[in-house]
Amino acid sequence: MGKQRLLLAMIFGLAIAAIVLISATPTRLGLDLRGGTQLTLQVETTEKIPTLTETDLEAVQRVISDRVNELGVSETSVQILGQNQLLVQLPGVSDPEQAQRVLGETAQLEFRSQRPETNQQFQIENQILQQHQLELLTLQQAAETGNQSLLNATTADPDNTPVPAELEQQIQSVQTAIRESNRAIRELFAPAALTGERLTDAYAQPRQGGNQWEVVLDFDAAGGNQFAELSRNVAGTGRSLGIFLDNRLISAPTVDVRYAETGITGGAVISGNFDAEGASDLAIQLRGGALPLPVAVVETRTVGPTLGQDSIRRSLYAAIVGLVLVLIFMAVYYRLPGVLADIALVVYALLTFAAFNAFGVTLTLPGIAGFILSIGMAVDANVLIFERTREELRSGKTLYRSVESGFYRAFSSILDSNVTTLIACAALFWFGAGLVKGFALTLAIGVVISLFTAVTCSRTLLFVSLGLPQFRKPELFCPGLSTTAPSNS
Amino acid sequence: MKLDIIRQRPFWWLISSLFIVASLIGMVISWQQLGAPLRPGLDFAGGTRIQIVRDCAQADCTAPIDSADVRALLAQQGLETGVIQVAGDDGQSVSIRTRNLDVDEESTLRSALASTFGPLDNQSTQIDSVGPVIGQQLFASGLIALIVAFAGIVIYLSVRFQLDYALLAIVALLHDVVITMGLFAWLGLLLQVEVNSLFIVALLTIVGFSVNDTVVIYDRIRENIKLHPERHINDLVDDGVNQTLTRSINTSLTTVLPLIAIVLFGGETLKFFALALITGFLAGAYSSIFVASTLLAWWRVQSGQAIAGLPEAGQPVEETP
Repeated sequence: MGKQRLLLAMIFGLAIAAIVLISATPTRLGLDLRGGTQLTLQVETTEKIPTLTETDLEAVQRVISDRVNELGVSETSVQILGQNQLLVQLPGVSDPEQAQRVLGETAQLEFRSQRPETNQQFQIENQILQQHQLELLTLQQAAETGNQSLLNATTADPDNTPVPAELEQQIQSVQTAIRESNRAIRELFAPAALTGERLTDAYAQPRQGGNQWEVVLDFDAAGGNQFAELSRNVAGTGRSLGIFLDNRLISAPTVDVRYAETGITGGAVISGNFDAEGASDLAIQLRGGALPLPVAVVETRTVGPTLGQDSIRRSLYAAIVGLVLVLIFMAVYYRLPGVLADIALVVYALLTFAAFNAFGVTLTLPGIAGFILSIGMAVDANVLIFERTREELRSGKTLYRSVESGFYRAFSSILDSNVTTLIACAALFWFGAGLVKGFALTLAIGVVISLFTAVTCSRTLLFVSLGLPQFRKPELFCPGLSTTAPSNS
Repeated sequence: MKLDIIRQRPFWWLISSLFIVASLIGMVISWQQLGAPLRPGLDFAGGTRIQIVRDCAQADCTAPIDSADVRALLAQQGLETGVIQVAGDDGQSVSIRTRNLDVDEESTLRSALASTFGPLDNQSTQIDSVGPVIGQQLFASGLIALIVAFAGIVIYLSVRFQLDYALLAIVALLHDVVITMGLFAWLGLLLQVEVNSLFIVALLTIVGFSVNDTVVIYDRIRENIKLHPERHINDLVDDGVNQTLTRSINTSLTTVLPLIAIVLFGGETLKFFALALITGFLAGAYSSIFVASTLLAWWRVQSGQAIAGLPEAGQPVEETP
């Protein structure tokens, strides 16, 4: 008995922990619920580059991330999808036109020499740019830590919206400022003398002697000549050689005076204040810019935020009504055990939701459907157990023995049936795309948690209540039991 | 209530056959008319769907949007083949489906819509654009998932039970999948209901769930065989089905109840998803009770294992004289 009480205390502890977790952590909502645009980009191969390697795809991903950052949206993500696709998520964007245009372009890498007598101006502009970029980073971090949850915003108090429109606006204005200073900087440079097509490779390597890193550039023959010319022009003047990716300055090295005669030949090295990360980041940017890979937008899905909120509200109603219907059915049909199963079911709902938050599951519309569905499936184990208990009671066993063997004998059915559901979930998760994955994950989490609540939880609750004399009546378990005398107490 | 499941077998099989034939007919007609057994939605066929809502704070919302006006507007844009649906409160929302539009075509269409019917509520716009590549990809991945799930279940059940249980369970599953597809083939023909990737999800969930029901009944039959190896399989199956009957009905009920809530309260996307699940689950409950069980009895009699001994222990089957 002591063990059962300990388990009971543990279950209620878990339930309370789940409530705390649910209220303390935000629920991550998919774009179909919070509103926004999702684009699938396909990187196409060309005659020059007939196959895509993983590094190619990473380089393109880096270029796309840069462009996405410039769109002025917070919490964006760019993920690699399969062999040749990228998934771009832009929360809050309800007009994907601009994004579609900007993201569907081929990267443009340019080497330009700085115009004479612009050194001071360049320094000032560059400083402004870096300041803005720092500002932007801080703002974006603020937006992410104040990670908003539309669910809280629509269901709980309206003051609880941590990412205010203000912050969004600040981000927007900093973005504009960054675009401005990029343009100002561009004007300080001569038109492109060399483009990324001539760059054959770029990679990071540690610098000899010391723990600093540098980026190596390799050009083809014509590119090498052009680069030599370009570097000779600026060598020793203090002017920079600007490297622009999609019209943004990504690096502005100066050329040492010793190259004033010949220029840099046979590959160049950019050395600066790089650590390993900074150097490889620049190298990836350069590689991405050098790849003349066309990018096509093959899928866009946009959901307005109002629609998302509407979906949340409707699903919430459906979840509550579904839960209540199941609760009523169980209590009416199975009586005392049914009520206990109901308690277990509520614990189930709490734990599952808490698990979503704890594992950072992104909740999508099909995901919510999976959750609602799992409410009905979660009591299946209880139905099996209670039916078995009734059978044992009818065959004349004592109440305690009946409950005991009800749990024991139903277990093999419960295990088999849950494993088959998990097999289907696994198939969905591995082969399904986007939304489908969300459904499979929520359903699978539900199945696993329901094994715990429907078996362990309801078992504990049942045995604890069997310890109380007022509950130890077979008719509370099975109405119309012929072996018991009708009691009118 | 006690069902004489084995004696009434022809009747139960007839009902199933009728449903299956009706389903297959629906799919064949659909194949002839649409070139696919089910009406393919945006996800599989590719295309662009734009759903706009008039902003009633600014626009004139006294009359609902007239689909003829929308059609005229589409014709101007050279998009005569579009499908138009007026929806929402008082017909203030319209959903247009066309071939796959590129960025320019899409923005031209949207601004034309805004100037004719607007101002529009941008917060309620929904745009889906699926290229043909993605459509094939979604379809192929869904199909692979379905096949892998079937294979996984056969392997698991062969290990836990025996191969004949597993294969017969799959027959029952196919029954459920075919009937669900049949319903949607007819819905597609009669009400233009389309299937999208969520439908494949529904089919997979049906597979996972309906095999549940079958497993529970088979589990019970197996237990009965173990307890009474001397009895005839027909009696054992009858007993097993009746012992699990209440459970089968109640479980289907508790699962279908939340789904009914989704049909009543859920949004447009989830409604047909829930309907597919309800159909599949009901077909699944039926096939587990009336088809999978009787098939097992029939098969065991046919293969001379009517009185089983203990086949799962790997012992030779007793041949009865």
